[in-house]
Amino acid sequence: MKLRHFIFLASLFCVIENSRAAENKFFAQGVEAYRAGQFPEAAMAFEQSAQISPAAGTLVNLGIAQWQRGHAGAAILAWEQARWIDPFDSRASANLKFARQVAQVDPPQLKWFETASTWLPPNAWVWLAGASLWLAVGALVLPGIFRRRKSGWHQTLASLAGGFFIFSLTASLGVVSRAQTGFVVKKNAPLRLTPTRDSEVVSTLTAGEPARRLRVGGNYFFIRTAGGAGWVVRDEFKLLGGE
Amino acid sequence: MPPQMPPGGLIQLQVAQPAVDVSSPVTATAAFDPPIVRAGEKTFYRVNVEATESSIQWPEEISAPAEFKFGANARGQITQFLGNKYRSLTTFIYEVRPAAAGHFAITNFTVNTAGQPVEIPAASLDVVADSTNSQPARQLVLETSATNIFLGQPFRVRVLLPAWPANEIEALREVQLNGDGLMTDKTALRQSIEVACVNGQLKPAFICEMTVTPITPGPLKFSAQGFTAGREFTGPISIHGQVTLPGGPAKYVLLVSEPVEINVRPLPAEGERPGFTGAIGKFFRDPPHLSTHRMRVGEPVSLKVVFHGEGDLTRFMPPAPPRSRDWQIIADPPPATGFTLIPQTDETSNTPAIPFCYFDPATAKYVNLTIPSLPVTVVGEGLPVQLPAADDAAESAAPLKLSDLAPTPGKTVASLKPLQLRGWFVGVQLLPVIGFLALWQWDRRRRFFEAHPEIVRRLQACRALRQKKRQLQKAVAGGDAAALIQHAADAMKIAVAPHFPAQPQALVCADVLAQLNDAERYGRVGETVGKIFAAADARFAAKPPAPADWLALHADVETVLQKLEEKL
Repeated sequence: MKLRHFIFLASLFCVIENSRAAENKFFAQGVEAYRAGQFPEAAMAFEQSAQISPAAGTLVNLGIAQWQRGHAGAAILAWEQARWIDPFDSRASANLKFARQVAQVDPPQLKWFETASTWLPPNAWVWLAGASLWLAVGALVLPGIFRRRKSGWHQTLASLAGGFFIFSLTASLGVVSRAQTGFVVKKNAPLRLTPTRDSEVVSTLTAGEPARRLRVGGNYFFIRTAGGAGWVVRDEFKLLGGE
Repeated sequence: MPPQMPPGGLIQLQVAQPAVDVSSPVTATAAFDPPIVRAGEKTFYRVNVEATESSIQWPEEISAPAEFKFGANARGQITQFLGNKYRSLTTFIYEVRPAAAGHFAITNFTVNTAGQPVEIPAASLDVVADSTNSQPARQLVLETSATNIFLGQPFRVRVLLPAWPANEIEALREVQLNGDGLMTDKTALRQSIEVACVNGQLKPAFICEMTVTPITPGPLKFSAQGFTAGREFTGPISIHGQVTLPGGPAKYVLLVSEPVEINVRPLPAEGERPGFTGAIGKFFRDPPHLSTHRMRVGEPVSLKVVFHGEGDLTRFMPPAPPRSRDWQIIADPPPATGFTLIPQTDETSNTPAIPFCYFDPATAKYVNLTIPSLPVTVVGEGLPVQLPAADDAAESAAPLKLSDLAPTPGKTVASLKPLQLRGWFVGVQLLPVIGFLALWQWDRRRRFFEAHPEIVRRLQACRALRQKKRQLQKAVAGGDAAALIQHAADAMKIAVAPHFPAQPQALVCADVLAQLNDAERYGRVGETVGKIFAAADARFAAKPPAPADWLALHADVETVLQKLEEKL
């Protein structure tokens, strides 16, 4: 039984290490190609690295390579995703400001709880919510179970944890809501009235323009932008939190 | 620099051209060619009217002797230059075979020409029984390069005007083919004078060669016609050998040929590949050549493709440009067979394959000649990576240039999808719930046992009894009679201890017997209990009894313990 566990753990370790090695290999290839001025190759390598393991630095580099290729929408999406993983990444934030100034596009309009969700990485909020909830429950229940006298600090801890749970739960909802926002990745992508190829074009979207996904219909997303709502082809619009 | 035309030069040029004669009275002639034939021999009844063909209302039938048997007929128009004026000449020609000898005539008749009546004079024909001097009618000779062909397959047609008479060569004008289902390409017309085999004889001839394409399947019959034009050669002509040209003004005579029949087969439907443009023959393609393999988005590049073929390529249709999402493809204007490709995105790494195939009539199969895709590198339109410094304070808050590359991948996550939207995370949240439930259950159980200590004692006695039984078995197996007696006595005390309750060590044989009913107490069970306790107590005697038969009590001990356990 112990040998079996050992083999399983060793295999798991090998898989993780291989995956990490492949990720690093693609990352190094991307850096090398970028320095050689081969931006399409660099973008492809960074994209492969990000697919294996999404990382803030990889996505920052992917955005830079896409920008050099002239893909403003894809670049903005990559930097937004880098900031989604690590809200404190200064490169991603600076590049986003720069890109939005050049491309003349606005950042997404966030609600208050969505703004709060940007203070920490998305997964941190949900772990905090879980931990604070059970801390509050534990502070209330465990003294009774273990026949300890309920003291003042138990009550204080429970109320603090409860308050933090409510706040982190709201921020988690902001994360879920923010995961439905996305960015137009193709230049002059048509916003259509119906999810059909021959549909009337309501307006044309700028690359990097933010929008909120409301519905899915076949190969189309129904999105709401600052200028109106309509259907857009899946390939031309990518979500911040992936599909 | 091109020469500049003076003001009004175009009008002067038009005025300087010879006028078209429309004022002279329209005249007509009619004659048989030849005028003397043998019975059954072919002659041509030819009518010339100096007017345009469209202005003449020619009758459907003409009045002729009953002995005349009419064959094919034709008509043609030519513009003749008379002195200093142009005049149209229209000729109607009928093939006639007289059935009997005699002197025959087609009487004069009137036709309406441009609203005016024009009299066609009478023409007479002498038909003799036998004439050695009669000369056959002058005719064109029509030759085709193939007679069994596929629909759309171009083939060559040669119209020959043999030298006549005295080996004089005359030019041929207004050559045309009479018959349905054929498309004649006069742009590929070739004229030559050379010695050709006509009716088994080698003689010089004016040859007019053209390409014809059948456009209707089935058997097709067609003939050629043309006007003799003396020395009026039009267009380039190649002359082979010695040639005698006639002197004097040209004599325009409409001649016709014997009809020729060809069989046109439809193209097979099976095996047709994409990119068939109607090319029939045998073709080859050089490897495609791209002007550059590295380009920017929107930058046109030239794809050169050279096709070779056997025979005439003037009607060769190059492949049509396919539709592509990533490329704009523009075909070069014919006769060029190349393409201009414009990449629409830098996400493509190959030029599009351009499907093309031709039909090989020799094998009656379609042959794939698709232009393969070529690897390319398309570079996107770069965006600025640096901005000029702004004076405005608000503008200067934004960075002025793109950051450098991140040296390491940095913070990593398993997926961009938030944990809240992943199923396993909900499962993880159940773990604390399970933990709290387990704690609650444990607390309940603990409180229950506190309220019912007899249950705890019984449970403890059961656990101790099981342990003693195992030791008892071990002692029996080992033949250790002393251990058997000791463990049996201990087990009995343990089994009855919860009933008092008391510590097992504090109990004696009477306490065990007290837990048995009368039948058991005075029966074998009671006896066994007594023996066991007696033996156990004998350990403390000055001289312990021999333990030989104690092992035989094992089965009785088991029975006693079972009965005591049932009461526990």
